[in-house]
Amino acid sequence: MTPGFFRYVILITVITATGFGFVPVSGHALDQAHECPMPERFYGFEPPLTKTIKALATGRNVVIAVIGGSSTQGRAAGANALAWPARLGSVLSDRFPSAHIKVVNRAVPRQTAKQVLERLDRDILPLKPNLVIWETGTMEAVRGADVDAFRDTVRTGIEELRDAGIEVVLMNMQFSRETDAMIYFEPYLTAMRQVADANEVPLFRRHGIMRYWAESGFLDLRVREDEKRRELAVKLYDCIGRAMADFLTHGSGDSAAKPGSGR
Amino acid sequence: MSTASESPVIKRDLRLDFFRGLALFCIFIDHIPNNIVAQFTFQSLMFADAAEVFILISGYTAGMVYGRAMERQGFLIAALRIYHRVWQLYVAHIFLFMIFMATMAYTAGALNTSLYAEEFRAANFLNEPGLAVVKALTLQFQPAFMDILPLYIVLLAVLPLVVTGYRSWPTVVIFASMSVWLAVQIDKRIALAAYPGPDQYWFFNPFAWQALFFLGAWFGWRANHGGVSWLDRRWLFYLAAGLSLAGFLIRFSWTLHDFYDPIPVFASGELLWPLLSKGNLGFLRFANVLALALLVSRLIHPQAGFLASRAARPFVICGRNSLHIFCLGILLSVLGQLVLNEFFGGILMQLAVSAAGIAIMIGVAAFMAWFDAAQQTSGGVVGGTMTGRGARR
Repeated sequence: MTPGFFRYVILITVITATGFGFVPVSGHALDQAHECPMPERFYGFEPPLTKTIKALATGRNVVIAVIGGSSTQGRAAGANALAWPARLGSVLSDRFPSAHIKVVNRAVPRQTAKQVLERLDRDILPLKPNLVIWETGTMEAVRGADVDAFRDTVRTGIEELRDAGIEVVLMNMQFSRETDAMIYFEPYLTAMRQVADANEVPLFRRHGIMRYWAESGFLDLRVREDEKRRELAVKLYDCIGRAMADFLTHGSGDSAAKPGSGR
Repeated sequence: MSTASESPVIKRDLRLDFFRGLALFCIFIDHIPNNIVAQFTFQSLMFADAAEVFILISGYTAGMVYGRAMERQGFLIAALRIYHRVWQLYVAHIFLFMIFMATMAYTAGALNTSLYAEEFRAANFLNEPGLAVVKALTLQFQPAFMDILPLYIVLLAVLPLVVTGYRSWPTVVIFASMSVWLAVQIDKRIALAAYPGPDQYWFFNPFAWQALFFLGAWFGWRANHGGVSWLDRRWLFYLAAGLSLAGFLIRFSWTLHDFYDPIPVFASGELLWPLLSKGNLGFLRFANVLALALLVSRLIHPQAGFLASRAARPFVICGRNSLHIFCLGILLSVLGQLVLNEFFGGILMQLAVSAAGIAIMIGVAAFMAWFDAAQQTSGGVVGGTMTGRGARR
């Protein structure tokens, strides 16, 4: 593989991605609400978000700020409205019609947790969100950064947000067979689990959930053609948004009666 | 390479081979993500893991074997033997790097680059392969799993000087070594820079890990001279037993908690994190592995019946050919993960992959043992330089 080849691949990717930005996408395909399966083990023991759930249920203004990287920004799907935070917003609005829900996507590609920490002040806190969903860990795993420092950074971020009265959800990395072969995610996944567990912060296990979807044949993450790849991104982000909606609200309503949920 | 003919009176310490073999199996298993078997290796039963066990035993063996060589054959010959070993490790490291390059080049080509735009950057070094290769040759490029051999290489490279120091001023050398470890615990900036930077460092901080290796080397070197008498103190034994037990209870409660969330933990991980750094060999990891080693050395005889039995044989032969089996284990971890991610298949598949990998490691070690024996009986190559195995150096 020559460097030229990779530049070529990147160039083509950028051109096609930009191109798709202009293609009008009808929401029709998404309205055929397909089930996005998520076994209970992915949310059963996560601490419930009492304040956010209450705000949703009582029909108040609810602001959810999302921090993350490329996969949260959602360019692969071709339009901002198709990124998972936007999908989350529309699913929540359907479920809580009386609440005024605003999901603000503040994803910036290729940022480390440390860079995110530096912009919390000016980028996130002024939004006065009820809830912050923090997708992180990818750049650290890609670069093989210091795991202990990463864990400390995430912990500091959680503390800063909580001090401002904001509830927090962590989201870990994406899964694919190829990226798992290229990148050693395990220590960073463990670090995120530890920091979430120790701080009683719910952790959305995207890596495990996507692995489950690949395993069950629900998603074919391997498609090669550009158009199918875009369709995949649309479906994936839609499902992440729906799964996140289930995840955030699992402590509310009838699901609270399930044995073992909450703690 | 062989020391068998030089020291017929000294019996092999089978514990070294056995536990090094066990550590090699654990390293293989621990490096396969999503593997249930990894919940039952060293790492889930104590604060330290297989890396500490491996480095401690390697230090002990090196101190014993090269310490003896230094006294019998002189500094130059002993140093040359050590550097021959360093060369073997270096070549093995480069071999693993080639496999890594091949994996990356192949998978990066198949990657969905729009969905995994950030992840794709892990292959960025392929844009400047010349620099990446040079950085691998200088040990600064350490992709996952390729961090323990560089550590071993630099530690062995310094060993001739350290063993020389042990002969004249053992206290000074040990004190210096411990001081450097302590300095790293206090100031985390003491580290070796790595490629591609700028915030990247050697995963195993050699300034911290040298303390474990050289302490092991000192015990090994002393073993040639009747051992260390204060290690036999009763209170030390109880201290080690208490520490190991506490380490087990706390660490295992975390393991169970991971399995089933409502199970409480004995001590919050968050409080202990500062003492549990793997890269910097945190205090609890260091203390736990030493405590366990003391217990083993007091409770198990070097030629205990079990260690010489057929059941222990697979561990012993793997431990004896540690470099080859280590490299093989790393290779098998990568393959094992590919198999698990390709076919999934739950716990049964994880058990099957782990068992198959260990069977291959044992098979190769048995083949090497047989080949060595065949060469020696036929009077062929004296000393079996083919394999240059660990404990016999």
